[in-house]
Amino acid sequence: MGDNGAVGTRILYVEDDERIRGSVKLALEDEGWVVDEAGTGEEAILSFDRTPADVVLIDIMLPGIDGFEVCRSIRRTSDVPIIMVTARADTHDVVAGLEAGADDYMTNPLQPKELSARIRALLRRVRPGTTANPRLRFGELEVVPQEGVVTRDGEEVHLTKTEFRLLVELASHPGKVFSREDLLEKVWGHGVFGDGRLVDVHIRRLRTKVEPDPAHPRHVVTVRGLGYKLQP
Amino acid sequence: MSADAPRNQPEREHAAPRYEIEGIRFGLRGRITLAVALVGLFLSVVLSFTTLTVAQDTLLDKREEGLTARIAANSATIRGNVTNADPSELQTLLSSLPDGGIPSLVSLDGGRGPVTVSVDARYGVESLPPELRSKVVEDREPAMMRFATDAGTLLAAGVPIPDTELFYFEVTPLYDVDTAIRTLRVMLIGATLAATVVAMMLGFWSSRYALRPLKRIGEAAESVAMGQLDTRIDYDAYAADVDLAPLVANFNGMVSALQDRIDRDARFASDVSHELRSPLTTLNASIEVLANNRDELPERAQQALDLLRLDMRRFTQLVEDLLEISRFDAGAVRLELDDVHLVPTVEAAVRAASDEPIPVEAEPGLEHLVVACDKRRLMRILANFLDNARKYADGATGVYVESHGADDIGPAPTVRIAVEDNGPGVPESERARIFDRFNRGDQGGSRGTDAGVGLGLALAAEHARLQGGRVWVEDRHDGGQGARFVIELPMIAPHEERDDEEPTDLASITPEEAESLALTGELPAIRMDQRTEPPRTITERHEAGTERT
Repeated sequence: MGDNGAVGTRILYVEDDERIRGSVKLALEDEGWVVDEAGTGEEAILSFDRTPADVVLIDIMLPGIDGFEVCRSIRRTSDVPIIMVTARADTHDVVAGLEAGADDYMTNPLQPKELSARIRALLRRVRPGTTANPRLRFGELEVVPQEGVVTRDGEEVHLTKTEFRLLVELASHPGKVFSREDLLEKVWGHGVFGDGRLVDVHIRRLRTKVEPDPAHPRHVVTVRGLGYKLQP
Repeated sequence: MSADAPRNQPEREHAAPRYEIEGIRFGLRGRITLAVALVGLFLSVVLSFTTLTVAQDTLLDKREEGLTARIAANSATIRGNVTNADPSELQTLLSSLPDGGIPSLVSLDGGRGPVTVSVDARYGVESLPPELRSKVVEDREPAMMRFATDAGTLLAAGVPIPDTELFYFEVTPLYDVDTAIRTLRVMLIGATLAATVVAMMLGFWSSRYALRPLKRIGEAAESVAMGQLDTRIDYDAYAADVDLAPLVANFNGMVSALQDRIDRDARFASDVSHELRSPLTTLNASIEVLANNRDELPERAQQALDLLRLDMRRFTQLVEDLLEISRFDAGAVRLELDDVHLVPTVEAAVRAASDEPIPVEAEPGLEHLVVACDKRRLMRILANFLDNARKYADGATGVYVESHGADDIGPAPTVRIAVEDNGPGVPESERARIFDRFNRGDQGGSRGTDAGVGLGLALAAEHARLQGGRVWVEDRHDGGQGARFVIELPMIAPHEERDDEEPTDLASITPEEAESLALTGELPAIRMDQRTEPPRTITERHEAGTERT
C-alpha cells in the first residue's frame, strides 16, 4: 500500500474525539501515511513545534483552542498544507477556516480514500515542464516555478504551497481565463462537486501578497462571469 | 419533520366581525371617529335649536310687548279725541298718532256696515287675517297674531275702543326679526358643522392616540412574522398603564416562547448533525480499514463486511438527507447564487452519477448559457433524479436541457433540465405524491439492495423551491414507456452588473434579496417561495453559536 508516494509522509491529525481519531488514523495508515495524533489544540501546536508534519488535518470543533486558532498558529511559522474538517459545508466555518490559512476542507463523515486523494493533491509539486520558461516576469513580479520562488521588486514573497501552485497555474498561460472549476481540478484535484469558495479565498490571499494594491489587482484579475487570469 | 406543515408563513386571513355601512367598511379607528362625530353633531344640533328658539321668542316677546303698549296708548288717544265716525276725521286722527306701527280703524257707526280707515292701504284692516278681525270686531275682544305675507312676517293686533263702535288695529312688520333669525340660523348651522368637524378630528386624533399601542403591537407582530424574532415591545413604556401592560407583557412572552422554540429546533438540527456525524465517521473509517484487509477475513466475515459496507453507504446517505431536510424545516438554509455554465455542469453531474454514458442534449443556443443558481443544489437535484432513474429503471436514457420563454407559464423565462428513463413510468395518481417524503411510489414495494428511502425526490423539490424553481414528473417527450423528471429554474442572468471582485457573487443571498434584485430590474423576475427561507438572524446565531460548542 505504499505505492502512492505516501511512505514516510507525516500527517498531524488533530481531533478531540478518540474513536474518530483512532479509526481515521488506522484508515490513513492503511493508505500509507504516518499519522501523529493530537487531542487538543494545545497538544497540536506543541507537537508541530517539536516535529513538523508534512500535512496537518484539523477538526474545527476542539475544546480549548479551536481549530481556527491552531490553523493560524501553525500558519505563522509554516506553509505546510492544512486541511480542516468541518461539520457542514454550508456554514461560515468553511470560509473562516480558509481565511485562517487552511488549504482545503472536508466534512464529516470523512471518507479516508477521498481524504488521501486530497492530501496527495496538496502535496503535489509543480510539475516539471509546466512552463516553457524557467523564469516568468509580470512587471515587478517574477516567478521561478521549479525553485518555488516568487519575488516582487527583487524581494522574495512568501507563499504557501497551494498559493504558489495557484499562481504558477495561472502563470502557465498568461492572459488565459481559468474558470474556478479548472483551477479546482488543477490545483486541488477536486471533481465537479468542488467548492468555488476555495479558489476565491486563495485568490484573495494571493493578491494581498503579490499585488501592490490588493483592492485594485493588476496581475491576478477577475474576469466577471468566467473566472480569473494572470495578466503581464 | 411534518410533511407539509407551512413554515414561517403569517396567516393573513382573520375571521373578524365586519362593520360596514352600504359596503363601506370601517376600522376600529373609523368607528371611534364616526361615533365621536355623531355625538358632536347631535349635541350641537340640540344646542343650536335651543339657541334659535330662545332668541326668536325673546325678540318676538319684545315686539309684542311694544305693540301691546302702543295699542293701549293709541286706542286711549282715539277714544279721547274722537267726536264722530266721519271717515275723514278718523283718517286725520290716525295720521296724528305717534310713529310706531301702521294703524287702522273699523267703525260700525251709522248702520251702513263697517267703515274702514287706514293710513297705509297695504296694511289696512282688509289685509289682516279674518280670524283676527272677527275676534276683535264680532267678539269684541283684544287679539294679537303673527302672520306671513310675501314680504315677510307681520305682527298685528286689534282692540275694541271702549264706549265706541270703533275698533283699533295696528300692524308692525317683523322683517328685522326675520332677518336676525335667518342670520342666526345660518350662523348656527355653520357652527354645528364646524363643531361636528372638530368632533371628528378630535375623535380621529384621540383614537389614534388610544390605538397607538395597538398599532405598535401590530407592527411588532408583523416584524415577528417577517422573521425578526428578537422584536420586543418596550414594556417600561406601558408599565404604568393597567389596560396595556398585561397585553404588552403577554405579547413579549409569546414572542420569547416562539423564539426559544425556533432556536431550539435549529439547535436540535445542528446537534443531531454533529452527534450523528461523529459515530458515522468512526464507522466509515473502521469499515474502510476492514475493507482494506478484506482478504485476511474468513469468507463469512467477508460477506458480513460487504453487507455492512452497502448499508453503511445507505445509512450515511439517509443521515445526510435527513439532516439536509431538517435544515429546511428549521429554516437554516441559505441560497448561494453562483454563475453556472449550465450544460457543462449538467454533463459533469451526469458523468459523476453514472459509469454508463448518458447522452445530454441541449437545445441549440444553450451550449454557452450561464445562469445564476445554487450550483450545489442543482447538482444535488440532478444527482437525485439520476439516482432515482438508476433505482427504478435501468438508469437514465437521456438528459435534456431546454429553455422556455416568458410567455409560456409565467412572467419570467425559465430553463428546464429533464431526466428521462425507460422504466415503468409514474402513473398520474402518483405524480404529485412521489415528491412527498418517504414515498417510494408503487414500485417501492420491493427493496433492492440499493433502494433509497425516498427522501431524494422530496429534497429535490425543496432544493428547487428554494431557488424559485420547481420539479415535477411527466411522460417522456417521445411518448414512450418511462418517466421524465423535470427541474425548472428561473433563468437568472449572471450578475455582470454588480461590482464584485469575485467572478461570482459569493455572498449568500436570501430569496427575498434575490427577489428584490428581480424587482429592481437587475435580474429578470423570478418567482420565489419565501417560506423556505429563514430569518437570517437565526441562521447566523445557529451557526455561530451552536456549531462550535
